[in-house]
Amino acid sequence: MRLTATDEERALQEEVRAFLARDGLAASDLPRGLDDRMNVLREWQASCRDAGYVGRAWPSEFGGGGRPPVEQIIVDQELAAAGAPELVNVVGLDVLGPSLLRFGDDRQRHRYIPSILSAEEIWSQGFSEPEAGSDLASLRTRAVEHDDHFVLSGQKTWVSWGQYARWCGVLARTSDDGPKHRGISMLIVDMQSPGVEVRPMTQITGHAEFCELFLDDVVVPKEDLLGERGGGWKIAMHTLGHERGTAALPRQVKLRTWLDRLVRVAARRELDGRPIADEPEAQVALARAFIGVEVLRHHAYRTVGEFLNGGAVGPDSSSVKLLMAEAEQRLAATALEVLGPTLQHAEPAEAGENDFWHETYLYSRAASVYGGTQQIQRNIIADRILALPQE
Amino acid sequence: MDLELTDEQAWLSESLSTLLDREWPAAEAAHEAGRDERDRLWRALVEFGVLGVDEDEGLGAVELCLVARALGSHLASVPFLGSAAMRYAAGPRSDLGEDRVSVALLEPGRGWSVDETRTAVGLTGLDGRKVAVEHAAEVERLAVVTAAGGSPGLAFTAADAPGVEIEPQESLDVGVPMHAVTFSGAAVDGELAAGVVTRLTAIGALLAAAESVGAASRMLEDAAAYAGERRQFGRTIGSYQALRHLLADMYVRQASAWSTVLYAAAALDDDLPEALQTAAVAKAYVARAAREVAHGALQVFGGIAFTQEHQAHRFLRRVVVREQQFGDAAHHERELGRALARSGSPVPIAVS
Repeated sequence: MRLTATDEERALQEEVRAFLARDGLAASDLPRGLDDRMNVLREWQASCRDAGYVGRAWPSEFGGGGRPPVEQIIVDQELAAAGAPELVNVVGLDVLGPSLLRFGDDRQRHRYIPSILSAEEIWSQGFSEPEAGSDLASLRTRAVEHDDHFVLSGQKTWVSWGQYARWCGVLARTSDDGPKHRGISMLIVDMQSPGVEVRPMTQITGHAEFCELFLDDVVVPKEDLLGERGGGWKIAMHTLGHERGTAALPRQVKLRTWLDRLVRVAARRELDGRPIADEPEAQVALARAFIGVEVLRHHAYRTVGEFLNGGAVGPDSSSVKLLMAEAEQRLAATALEVLGPTLQHAEPAEAGENDFWHETYLYSRAASVYGGTQQIQRNIIADRILALPQE
Repeated sequence: MDLELTDEQAWLSESLSTLLDREWPAAEAAHEAGRDERDRLWRALVEFGVLGVDEDEGLGAVELCLVARALGSHLASVPFLGSAAMRYAAGPRSDLGEDRVSVALLEPGRGWSVDETRTAVGLTGLDGRKVAVEHAAEVERLAVVTAAGGSPGLAFTAADAPGVEIEPQESLDVGVPMHAVTFSGAAVDGELAAGVVTRLTAIGALLAAAESVGAASRMLEDAAAYAGERRQFGRTIGSYQALRHLLADMYVRQASAWSTVLYAAAALDDDLPEALQTAAVAKAYVARAAREVAHGALQVFGGIAFTQEHQAHRFLRRVVVREQQFGDAAHHERELGRALARSGSPVPIAVS
């Protein structure tokens, strides 16, 4: 059991802080236009990578840092604390990259990993389908095997940054025999191939960070099968669990920065001549939001600690995911309740702040849906931790 | 960053469980344990070393929380909380030998804030009245929170000293007997300064929370087992999604409650700057979380849990009583909220 940082870890924190003070970029400074934004974000990830802050724990032979996993978590928390933008190749870094490292062959790793790290090539994931959301294993996109290639047809949704992605990890059915999740394979699809079409989807926040993906007889060379034929489900579950388990620490830091921001706004804005933050009800609401974020931090420390000590990211990543959604949604709803009528005062100077909270609130509603809904996480806990009878 | 139990801590936890299985009645009969059984358990615990509190070599806050959790999951009735909290808060200065200690904090008509204390040491000794002093009739010493010139202090008295009157008080949980204690010029045999009170309320809150987590964990375990056996409508009730999700939510509450207690205990042991605040977070969270788990368990058991005979209500009572000690959720949320509004919440990136 150890909570205090080692000298080495502290030195790394200082180093990242110095980097951010010198070359930092604030999420709030990003251009609004999507193309410009994408360019700036790519440059930002590249500069983080040059500093050694991307893929720090990935093997050095593929361009990673070869350092202990805890160092990446330290770096990610520092970036989040400074309000730096998220790394734009997030799907490559959190989902497909770890899959390639774990299940890919040497050619694939040498070919794909370095450009994931540098953001030269953006990755997306083609998992969900219009008719296969929570019931992912019922997906219908089909890959038909030919001599040296698959021919892929179907429709995917929630493909992040699909319009900018060069590669997409697509789950497709390669067999109808046996249990339905056994007939799924993971293919690496070149988004520049003939037959690939993407259509941006506008979310409730007004942004279009996701696309629909249409695949019409797309040829995928067999060398771009990731892992074994029929092994796609295992890959997807491994990486989603990984994402759930380790993303929580930087996420809680981000939530903490939002809470700080909310406290500052509540201290600055007045209602009926009194600062909102002086009201006992507002203070208790803020405290409850704070407790939610703190407990997420403590619980993530416990579960991620097991992972860092060599254990697998187990089903407890589902409890982390549930707490993460709860903390984020409570914080966002607290902002609306605490700021209350001031959100409608139409003070021009406060418009940007109001937009931030409205957008944060709207975005928070996705937290209990993406990466496996709240209900799916509860099913995982009921099955794998509590060993309850199957439905 | 590592909240995993060490081998020694895991061993401590298992050994305590074995000891309690051996020395204490099963949960169905724990409420019938008389003074003899309580004393026998206490002697066994002391012999095992639960009072060996020492930051460097003996038990720290993490270990004490492991003990408290085990006591909660067995519905044990011993004056552990005060005896352990006092030793941890005062360190080697406490000079308590093997004395059992109860902490006297709450006063009639007042809340959990120690700043509101009226009991004080005057020229003729200690004067004041305290309530909800647990196990007061079974301890040698009372640690009394006092008003000492603007800040809270702590005075010790012998429980049987002249001028100390102990009367039994209603308690929702027979395993946590409560007493009202009146001090009228009672002789003080030691005083400690303000810093000790802060540390005492922090470790006390954590031990109360850990005991609640123990009780809640046991309820979850029992309820999950029951859901796997009980059949209605021709199916095992644990196969219904309504109950599976209820139990999954109970698991999340129980697991995260334990995480926050462990973290806060380790933060106290490591003297992190955030330690006191984290103890308040843990107490506030566990107060609600443990009750939520208990309520969920009652729901899973259904009607049977509403009978006196069934053990569920005894765990529920333990949770509800421990929810109060050293500050309930409302108290800690108010204090945390006030502190946040005053100074924000600097992001701790003590990652590791």
